[in-house]
Amino acid sequence: MTELFEGYAWEAAWDEMFGAPGKPRLPNRGLYATLRTLTPADLDERCAERDRSFRDRGITFSLSGEERPFPLDPIPRVLSAAEWSQIEDGVRQRVRALEALLADLYGAGQVLADGILPRQVVTSAEHFRRAAWGLEPPNGVRIHVAGIDLVRDRHGRFCVLEDNVRIPSGVSYVLENRRTITRIFPELLASHHIRPVSDYPAKLLAALRAARPLNAGSEPNVVVLTPGVHNSAYFEHSFLARQMGVELVEGRDLFCRNNQLFMRTTGGRERVDVVYRRVDDDFLDPVQFNSSSLLGCPGIVNAARSGNVTLANAIGNGVADDKLVYTYLPELIDYYLGERPVLPNVPTYRLEDREQLEAAMVRIDELVMKPVAGSGGTGLVIGPQASDDELATAERSVRDDPRGWIAQEMVTLSTAPTRVGGKLEARHIDLRPFAINDGRTIWVLPGGLTRVALRRGSLVVNSSQGGGSKDTWVLAADARRDAAGDKPPSGAGNGCDRSRLGAALRLAPVGGPEPGPHLDGQQQQQQQQQQQQAPC
Amino acid sequence: MSWRIATSHVSRYRYASPVVASYNEARMTPSPGPEQLVLDSELRVEPSAVLFRYVDYWGTLVHAFDVHEPHDELVVTGTSVVETTPTAPSLAGEPGAPADPAAKPGTGPVAGSDDPGSWQQLRSTALRDRFSELLAPTSYAPFDAELAGAAGDLAAGADPAEAAERVVAFVHDHLRYEAGTTGVSTSGLEAWRLGTGVCQDFAHLALSMLRQLGIPARYTSGYLHPSAEASIGDRVPGASHAWIEAWVGRFVALDPTIGSAAGVRHVTVARGRDYADVTPLRGVYHGGEHVQLTVEVQLTRLA
Amino acid sequence: MLSRIAEGLFWLGRYLERADDTARILDVEVHQMLEDASSGEHLAAGALLSVMGVEAKTGERLELANVTASLAFDRSQASSIVSSLIAARENASTIRETISSELWECLNATYVALDQRAATARAIGPHAFFRFARFVKERVALAAGIADGTMPRDDTWLFLILGQSVERADMTARLLSVRLSLPPGTGDWVTTLRCCSAHEAYLRTYRAAVEPARVIEFLLLDRLFPRSAYHALATAERCCAELDGEQRRLGTGDEALRILGRARADLEYRQIGERLDELAPLLETLQAVCSQASAAVASRFFHREGTQPWHSEGLGFDLPGRAGGGGTS
Repeated sequence: MTELFEGYAWEAAWDEMFGAPGKPRLPNRGLYATLRTLTPADLDERCAERDRSFRDRGITFSLSGEERPFPLDPIPRVLSAAEWSQIEDGVRQRVRALEALLADLYGAGQVLADGILPRQVVTSAEHFRRAAWGLEPPNGVRIHVAGIDLVRDRHGRFCVLEDNVRIPSGVSYVLENRRTITRIFPELLASHHIRPVSDYPAKLLAALRAARPLNAGSEPNVVVLTPGVHNSAYFEHSFLARQMGVELVEGRDLFCRNNQLFMRTTGGRERVDVVYRRVDDDFLDPVQFNSSSLLGCPGIVNAARSGNVTLANAIGNGVADDKLVYTYLPELIDYYLGERPVLPNVPTYRLEDREQLEAAMVRIDELVMKPVAGSGGTGLVIGPQASDDELATAERSVRDDPRGWIAQEMVTLSTAPTRVGGKLEARHIDLRPFAINDGRTIWVLPGGLTRVALRRGSLVVNSSQGGGSKDTWVLAADARRDAAGDKPPSGAGNGCDRSRLGAALRLAPVGGPEPGPHLDGQQQQQQQQQQQQAPC
Repeated sequence: MSWRIATSHVSRYRYASPVVASYNEARMTPSPGPEQLVLDSELRVEPSAVLFRYVDYWGTLVHAFDVHEPHDELVVTGTSVVETTPTAPSLAGEPGAPADPAAKPGTGPVAGSDDPGSWQQLRSTALRDRFSELLAPTSYAPFDAELAGAAGDLAAGADPAEAAERVVAFVHDHLRYEAGTTGVSTSGLEAWRLGTGVCQDFAHLALSMLRQLGIPARYTSGYLHPSAEASIGDRVPGASHAWIEAWVGRFVALDPTIGSAAGVRHVTVARGRDYADVTPLRGVYHGGEHVQLTVEVQLTRLA
Repeated sequence: MLSRIAEGLFWLGRYLERADDTARILDVEVHQMLEDASSGEHLAAGALLSVMGVEAKTGERLELANVTASLAFDRSQASSIVSSLIAARENASTIRETISSELWECLNATYVALDQRAATARAIGPHAFFRFARFVKERVALAAGIADGTMPRDDTWLFLILGQSVERADMTARLLSVRLSLPPGTGDWVTTLRCCSAHEAYLRTYRAAVEPARVIEFLLLDRLFPRSAYHALATAERCCAELDGEQRRLGTGDEALRILGRARADLEYRQIGERLDELAPLLETLQAVCSQASAAVASRFFHREGTQPWHSEGLGFDLPGRAGGGGTS
């Protein structure tokens, strides 16, 4: 049966599953083989199970104030070990370069003096924070967590679309997606050798502990700082705090005294050493930034400056993921690392340059115009899909404020089979791998968040714009045989080693739970007869 | 000839009802540099607080402190002894600035011109980039076509150094010094339209005009000894003061309020793009709404 | 534990108990009004509203339907069942990483089902209310059971149970106030017992017919029945003592403990006379004790300083030299 794939239409894009109609790419063979045996009704049933599970567990995100279940597409996206290895190298390289850039910009400024990156690009960046200048993190790490957005062009090549080194979010969905897919497709998980994602919280905690202040002692107090329950990513904040076993705090739980950070507890104050903060710079410290903020804690920036607390990610990281600074990344990778980029940028015009501006405006209908300050896909103008009016408006906005925009070559995002109305159709997807830097190694979570544009032909994958997500599988290097649809080797369950389990069971004392006193058969009969007599 | 000046700057903040927690940053003590030698400097806070010192992005010395004892008055006192010289001010305030700008590629003079203070140099891409923060408009020193026109007329036929002097003289002549006509958030442009203002407004207006000419310029705050013929040992009342520094191949300190170059009577405390970067005391507190501030500055020429 | 978390747990306990008790009170009263139409619907309804601290809308006829609507389903009414359950879930969501996920899922699933349950009950009318009341009681019992089986007996637990017990003592007092405010001779004390799930326990204890004075005695003073005011106060007192954690030779340093202990001792050695009208002041005192204890717990453990707004210094001030400072610049 191939009912699910009936009418699966190709666009002029790289399809993740199929090299040609009916011919799945190698890493997808196992998945395809299983899906072929499912009817639309089977899939519906499994999706109903998924919805129930998400709703009851409150795995939601807020969209304009309304809580919605996170839309997880049931069909996983599969990446081979080789594909992943390149992504992993590229993401690591990117993070190393961005770390070096931030250390430089908030310190000596050598890259500016050497004329590699114009000072104006830095000082005009929306998230450049002068208050972060001279602030040195204890183990040198500013990007404890990074999310690097990748897209795949029509030749199957991965390119970097955007760096996120401020407060990259979405990792909780990676973990929850895997958990859900495991429950609704146990047979798929059993027949593939997929690299697990569940290490993430432990890795994050280790990185946060490694970033502790020098005077903090070996058991630092780590907390997660959230803006509060009404924040759209609150689920993730709470999820991570719980998974790491640390306190989830709000600004009002914290206070500073003599450059030392404390939290208010029922037993008095307790020192805080490392803050994994999910509050934007602007709201973090009313002394330094937005003075009306109630979400932060006054004095926290100077507490960090004096080395008594570590903020993760560091303040001012946003200058490194500025969309204009992004265009310099290939040069910066060369400047700091002496390497060639493993993952290329999407070709981008710098519009402050007169010549580039004119060159871009001539072909505005072929390019994507992005506001530098925008996030979540807002304000985006996709040339080939825009009307003449929209293009004229965009051109005017760009000419008014060239620093406020970039123009990018249009990348036709790759597609993957996605459940739409009970069947599978091709939809565009991207990928956000997450990296954690503990100061010694940069660890890349094998998988990451695949976002999918649920509207046909749409290239906007953000969840705030009606996008969904997919569980992202990275096959282990030795997994080709399993993935090709062969039977799994015996004993290769989901990490459950049966022989050891058996041994443990044999050690358990013999005999079931102790029974309570019970009525014997005769008593029961009498009671029943008693009841029968009663009505007369 | 250099002067030695003792400064004392007392700010009293009064609250209607007790303040129970207060977090502050004070920029109230002089910064060392080639134009002034800081022999002694101290900041005191009542109720007492532990002080944390650091140097900010602009090179200003900052004292941060928090007070948790309930108080209805906060007194911050900055005192110093400074030896001022007529030397040009330093590059302080330029983070990561090399000691000798000409020694670094991308910041030295461009080929074809030896004079680092020429218009050609000021208009070079490298220089405009290096000083981009001191060339951009701010809310206190916005750009305005009328001001640009006036500045352009003044600069005709002059080199940048001369143009800067003319702008400063122009501001001195066209604004009347009158306390109380403008407020702490008035921009230089608003003061220009009013025709009156205080030192802060004079400085902001000069910054607007200089930057529109393409001359990098920064806001400088500190103290001015009121008398050029001060007798040694006399303690005189002074005030907080503001002037500017313009880049014309080197920084020159010019005081639009007195209409001439700043010199040995000026003690520099803080620098920045405008007043917002040098606010003497910035912070937040819990408690009483109404606040009254009294400031007392005293200056003594010691030598 | 974080003060905010402690506060969240305390109120989670209170709101859950409040939803449960309000459902119980309404269940009984609605039943009463349906069964005995002569009892003066508007009198009973008015008494009910006033005991629950709800002001009747002027000009609106006090009928069963209105009363259940505002006490059970009205989201704008802070003390309605629906509001209590929403508030319980909201508190739980701010402390989600502290309570067990099972407990959170139970509260969230209750919240998700709430709208539909309430809508059905409203559409069908009073008799569907019983089903709604049962739904509420079952969900709260489920939550309590999950909490009991999944939460460690640390301070987390103590704050939850403290909130629950304080609320229970308060609501028991309110329940009796409603009962006593009905005209003499009306109503049925059995339903009062039933609404506290106390009928069987009462019968086993007294082995006698249901008498008003004994019912009151049982619901206020019984030392073993878990829904009695005495039992609730004693439990709350024990929680406070454990949270306080200090052994003293004399008295206590903890205000809440002192308030609860004195009230508990008063009930412990009290006799209930036959004159029911003398009970009103006692019930009022009980309610006052609960609110004082709650305030004392808040001031000792919940440190609410963090929620005040910050005033900004700096640019808000005038430039020194202008604001009456010395000289010119």
